[in-house]
Amino acid sequence: MFAISVITAICLVSVFVGYLAFRQGYTRTPDDYFVAGSSLGYFVLIFSLLASFLSAFSMFGMSSLGYRTGFGSLFVLSVNLVPLGALWYYMHRKTFILGRARGWMSMGMPFGERYGNGMRAVIPIVVLLASIPYLVAQVQGIGVMVEAISNKAIPYHVGMFFVPVFISLYLIMGGMKGAAWVNTVQGVFFSIMVFVLFFAVMAKNGGFMPTMEMVFEAHPHLFELGAKGGKLWSYPMVFGFAAAMCLGCVCFPQPYMHAYSSRTAKGFKAMVLSFGGICLIIITMPTLVGIASTVIVPGLKGVEADKVYGIVASRILPDWLAALAVAGGFTAAMSTVNGLVFGNATNLANDLLKLIAPNTDQKGLVSAARWSVAVIMAICVVLAWNPNTPVAELSVLAFGTVAVTIFPLWGAYFWKRATAAGAMASTIVGLGLNLVFFFWGGKNMVLFPQANLFQLNGFLAAFLATGVVFFVVCLVTKPGKVEEKSLDLFFHPSLNGNAGETIDQELVKA
Amino acid sequence: MENGTSLKQAVFLVVFAVFTLLCWCPIGYGAYGAPTLILGMPSWAVAALAIGAVMFVIELVYLFGSKLSLDDDQLPDIVQSIKSDIQ
Repeated sequence: MFAISVITAICLVSVFVGYLAFRQGYTRTPDDYFVAGSSLGYFVLIFSLLASFLSAFSMFGMSSLGYRTGFGSLFVLSVNLVPLGALWYYMHRKTFILGRARGWMSMGMPFGERYGNGMRAVIPIVVLLASIPYLVAQVQGIGVMVEAISNKAIPYHVGMFFVPVFISLYLIMGGMKGAAWVNTVQGVFFSIMVFVLFFAVMAKNGGFMPTMEMVFEAHPHLFELGAKGGKLWSYPMVFGFAAAMCLGCVCFPQPYMHAYSSRTAKGFKAMVLSFGGICLIIITMPTLVGIASTVIVPGLKGVEADKVYGIVASRILPDWLAALAVAGGFTAAMSTVNGLVFGNATNLANDLLKLIAPNTDQKGLVSAARWSVAVIMAICVVLAWNPNTPVAELSVLAFGTVAVTIFPLWGAYFWKRATAAGAMASTIVGLGLNLVFFFWGGKNMVLFPQANLFQLNGFLAAFLATGVVFFVVCLVTKPGKVEEKSLDLFFHPSLNGNAGETIDQELVKA
Repeated sequence: MENGTSLKQAVFLVVFAVFTLLCWCPIGYGAYGAPTLILGMPSWAVAALAIGAVMFVIELVYLFGSKLSLDDDQLPDIVQSIKSDIQ
C-alpha cells in the first residue's frame, strides 16, 4: 500500500501545482493558458518536454524490449533520438519565431496561415486520431499498474478512473504553466528513480561488466545484430524503428507547444538539444536494466516480460524503494497523458472552434479547451474500460500517423512551391496508408520489415509514399491566393538572418 | 547571408545528415553475428552510444558556439520586423 500512497501523493501534489498556477494568475488570458505567456525558462522547458514525451513505455516498455531482444533496443528510444537536437531546431525554429510574431498557440495555426483553413482543420483531427489510441494505452497501463501494485485492493476500473480525473483537474486549472511545472516535477522524479534502479540492478552481480558478462554467457543472441537468422535487429528493422520514432517526435503537439512557450531563443535551443542527450542516458538505463534482468528474473515470456521493471525492482530494492521506482513509471505515463491531452485540447479550441465560431472571445477559447480536456479524458476512459481491448495496439500508429505531417510542415517553412492541395493530399494519403497497413497486417506490418514492401516496415513505406504524393501534387497544382500571400510571412527576409538589412532599408526609405 | 556563413551551414548540414544516418542504423560499425565485447557491451552498441554522444556535442557547438543559430539579441528585431511588415 506504500506504492498506492506514493501515487496518491503524486496526484495530489500535481493538482496542488496546477492550483498554484491558477491562483497566481497564469491562466487569465488565452496566451497565459495555452502557452504560459511564453514565459517558461530553461529548466522547466527541458524537463517538461522530456516528461511530456517519455511515457510508461520508456521505462516499462524499454526494459521489456531490452529483456526480450537485447542491445538493438538502443535504436528505439535512445541513440536514435539524439538527432532531434538538429531536427527540432531545423523544423521548429520558424515555429518559435513566427509563433511570437503571429501569436500562434496551436498546431493548426502555422498550417492555416500557410495553406488555408482546410489544413488548419485537418491537422488537429489527424493528431487527435493518432493520439487517442496512445492515450488509451497509457490509461490501460495505469489501471493495470495500480491494480498490480495494490495487490488488487484498487481494481482496474477504479485505478484507470481516478488518475485521469486528477490529470483533468490540474490541466483545467493550471493550463500550460501548471502542466509544465507538474511535468518538471514528475520528470525529475522518474529520472532519479531510473538512476536508483540501474545502479542497484548492476550492483546485484558485482557491477556493470560482470553482470553483462553473465548475460552474454547465458543469452549471447541479445548482443547480436541480425540474430534469429537475420530477422531480429537486422539493418532494415533497426532503421525502421529508429526513423519512425525520431520523425514522429518532430510532429507531435509537444514541440510546437513548448516552442511557443519558451521565454528565450536560448531556452528553445537548450530544450531541443537536451532531449536527445538526456534520452541517451535516461532511456539507455532501463534498457540495460531489462538486459541485466535476464539473469536476475529469468524465464519471463510475453506479457510477463512487460512487468520486468517492477519485478526486478521488487527483487533488488527494499519494498519502499521498489514502490518509488515503479511510481516513476507511473509519473512517466501521467506526464505524457497530460502533454498529449493538453496539446490536443489546445488544437481543438484554437483551430477547430475558431474556424467554426470565429467570434469566440478569449474566455470562450479557454473554456472550450477546458471542456476538451475533460471530454478527451472521458473518451479515453470509455475506450480503455476493457483492459483486454487491443486498443493499445493501435498506439503503434501514433508516431507513423503524425510523422507524415512533416512534409506539409517542411513545405510550409522551406519550399515556396508547396501548395495546399499537396499538403492535404499527402496528409490524407499518409493517414490512410498507415491505417491500411495496420488493418491488413496488424502492428507487425507497421513495425517490422516486410518482404512485399521492399524490406521497409509499414511506417517507412507510408512515409515515403506520403513524401512522393506531397511533391508530385504540389508540382502539378498551382499555389492559390492563400499560399501566395503566406510567402511574405514564411519567407520574410529577417528569418534568414537579414533583420538588420530590412531595418536599414526601412531607414533609407524614411 | 555571407558566403562563409553559407559554407559553414552547409558543412554542419552534411555532418548532421551523416551522424543522423549513423544514429539510425549501425551500417559501417555493426556486423551481423557474434560481437566482441567492450566494457561488457557489444562493440557496435558502444560505438552507437559514442556516435550519439559525439552528435550531441556537435549539436551543442552549432546551437551555442557557432554563431550560426538564432540568438536572443537578434530575436526582438526579427519579430518586430515581421510584425511591422505583415499585418
